[in-house]
Amino acid sequence: MSGWRRLYPNAWYIAVREYRGRIASRSFVLGTILLAGLAFAATEAPVVVDYLQGASQTNIAVYTSLSNLPPNSTVLLDSQLNPQSDASPGHRTFEISWFVGGATVATDSQRQLENGAVAALLVISRDAKTHDLIFTLRTDMPSDGRQVVLLQNAVAYLAVDDRLTRAGVSIASIQAPPAWSVVAVESGSSDVEPAAVNSLSDEITSSILSTVLIVLMLMAIITYGTWVAMSVAEEKGSRVMELMLNAATPTQMLAGKVVGNGAAGLTQYGLIILASVAGLVAQVPIRAAVSGSATSAALPPGLSLATFAAFIVLFLLGFILYALLYAALGSLVSRQEDIQSATSPLMFLIMAGYFVSVVAISAINDTWVRVLSFVPFFTPYVMLARVALGQVSWWEFALAVLLMLITIVVALFVAARIYSAGVLLYGQRVGLRQVLKAARVSR
Amino acid sequence: MPLIIDSVSKSFGEVRALDGVSLEIRPSEVFGLLGANGAGKTTAMRVVLDILRPDAGTITWDGRPNTDLPRETWGYLPEERGLYAKMKVLDQLVFFAKLHGVKPKAADREARGWLERFRIPEYADRRAEQLSKGNQQKIQFIAAILHDPQVLLMDEPFTGLDPVNAAMLKEAFLEMRDRGKTLIFSTHQMEQVEELCESIAILDRGKVVVSGNVRDVRRSTGRQVVRVAVEGDSEIAWLGTLDGVRVTRRGQDYVEAEVAHGHDAEAVLQAALDRRCRVRHFEITDPSLESIFIEHVGQMDVSERTLAPKAVVA
Repeated sequence: MSGWRRLYPNAWYIAVREYRGRIASRSFVLGTILLAGLAFAATEAPVVVDYLQGASQTNIAVYTSLSNLPPNSTVLLDSQLNPQSDASPGHRTFEISWFVGGATVATDSQRQLENGAVAALLVISRDAKTHDLIFTLRTDMPSDGRQVVLLQNAVAYLAVDDRLTRAGVSIASIQAPPAWSVVAVESGSSDVEPAAVNSLSDEITSSILSTVLIVLMLMAIITYGTWVAMSVAEEKGSRVMELMLNAATPTQMLAGKVVGNGAAGLTQYGLIILASVAGLVAQVPIRAAVSGSATSAALPPGLSLATFAAFIVLFLLGFILYALLYAALGSLVSRQEDIQSATSPLMFLIMAGYFVSVVAISAINDTWVRVLSFVPFFTPYVMLARVALGQVSWWEFALAVLLMLITIVVALFVAARIYSAGVLLYGQRVGLRQVLKAARVSR
Repeated sequence: MPLIIDSVSKSFGEVRALDGVSLEIRPSEVFGLLGANGAGKTTAMRVVLDILRPDAGTITWDGRPNTDLPRETWGYLPEERGLYAKMKVLDQLVFFAKLHGVKPKAADREARGWLERFRIPEYADRRAEQLSKGNQQKIQFIAAILHDPQVLLMDEPFTGLDPVNAAMLKEAFLEMRDRGKTLIFSTHQMEQVEELCESIAILDRGKVVVSGNVRDVRRSTGRQVVRVAVEGDSEIAWLGTLDGVRVTRRGQDYVEAEVAHGHDAEAVLQAALDRRCRVRHFEITDPSLESIFIEHVGQMDVSERTLAPKAVVA
């Protein structure tokens, strides 16, 4: 087994060369800038949405000749029309001007509507018999539009408050919270999985998250795996391979290529994550600049540190496993154009894993999902889905990782065999049978 | 100490690329490997380098089998040449040297020294794709020898070089030999073999047809070659009529003829004097390697014997 001796330092030199060459390439630079830019922009989306909403602030006028409105009506209307949310504190949807008085004030308020200073005029009067409040909205806004509906909902509170005040009850006393306490009791059985008590919205959030993570995994493995295949085919096509063959063993070359391109892939991923984090941090000053209000950054929902760590581990192992196979198949062709067709079997395998895991998300506790999460070629996706949905015990994860490590060692051996035979074969298309035959006779 | 190739065979499918090849190459000698395309020269080199494993036979250098030898024993200039197109020349040279175990600083110094020797020091920081073919070839040669290998194998090192660069390469060759390195190269150009090699082997269809010291090989046929020039008679028509003499080539002002085994070449001179010719030039030599090669292998350029199935190692 000449392939096993002295993996270091040659594999390291090759990895460094691959890494440098890759990150200096135009496609890497442009791709990283594009993806990092997209990630940054995506994290600013909530700010943009809020800004667009903020830009559509509605000015309204309220006119009433009544002097017996409940005293807190102005505050109540304002708080109903401008509810304070965590996402955008200080943000105001409506700006309200009150006009209280006789006919001249009524004319003033009417003029506000006519000259466009306000978008709507709300007139509050009282029914002579029932003494209930009557609300009349004069506006050119659509009667079923969002603003009109918000106004309608808000005035309902005014009407209720008015009735309660007339009945001698204060709204504050009604809204006061009841006495409420929770007494902790030791539970006898503790094998209830925490996921079982997850709320429905939590579950939806984590299945969206796991789908996103699986797609990220899939894209990373295909993209960076193709880099490895391209690097092999390029070396073979330019015939540098012939010089390399005497300088390093196939195993050293394989290991170097997988590590070098993997590191370049991680660099790109890291930069994208960095851009996302920068985007989250930048939310605060950007929001302050565009809407004049301060807030803290919002994190993606449902992403726990454990899920993130599992993603990294599964990504590394999945990438190494698939990259070895990509390298082996890349060694069969000598032109970049042939890579796609040569690596299509892997594409099938990867896509199969992807579809299986998408189905698995909705059946995460089924036995077949559990079984598939231990099949090394599917582990990166299916196990990731299980982790993201919180359905895995630590030994299951450890076992899956162990199985993947064993498969990687076997794949390294097989790939080195195919590779050492493949790189010497030149021709239009090299069939797998020829390679296997050649693999038997070469070192 | 010698490099011993002992009854090595290697097949690719139906094709026997090497068929019981046995050779002994002495240390510090320049050895020429001749053969038509597809004769097995490249396979022989790859087997020696342990890039391919033979089906049968062994290769030893200095008494050790080649599978046990460190890779840096060998320097290899492959026939199909390539460099990393986007990588700077000096970076690649240092990279290849490091793979062979040379310390980066020493590799840098050695590489610059060789670029200087080949009069291309200004290319150190250029990308390989910016260099001409001939200059790339020089870079590849440097990459093959930078780690100071004991045995240097070169597949067609002179093809594609202009006379000036070929002369530079030859110089470097001889310097390597003087440093005690063993040089093995394959070629189609017989002049280079006669100029540089002490020993040769002619391969045909995977078999060694002739091998040994160049002088011995040339004498091995038993024939002799005479070259005659006579004042006022460029035809020398009578030459062909002599017993055992066959005219092989007519030059501008001389005629070359082969004297068969058992006949005296000096008889040709005697015949000229008998005819009262004024002999301006008379030379007796051994047959050229080219004629020996053609005798064994057939026409060099016509017989492009490639290995039958495509996509199989040449």
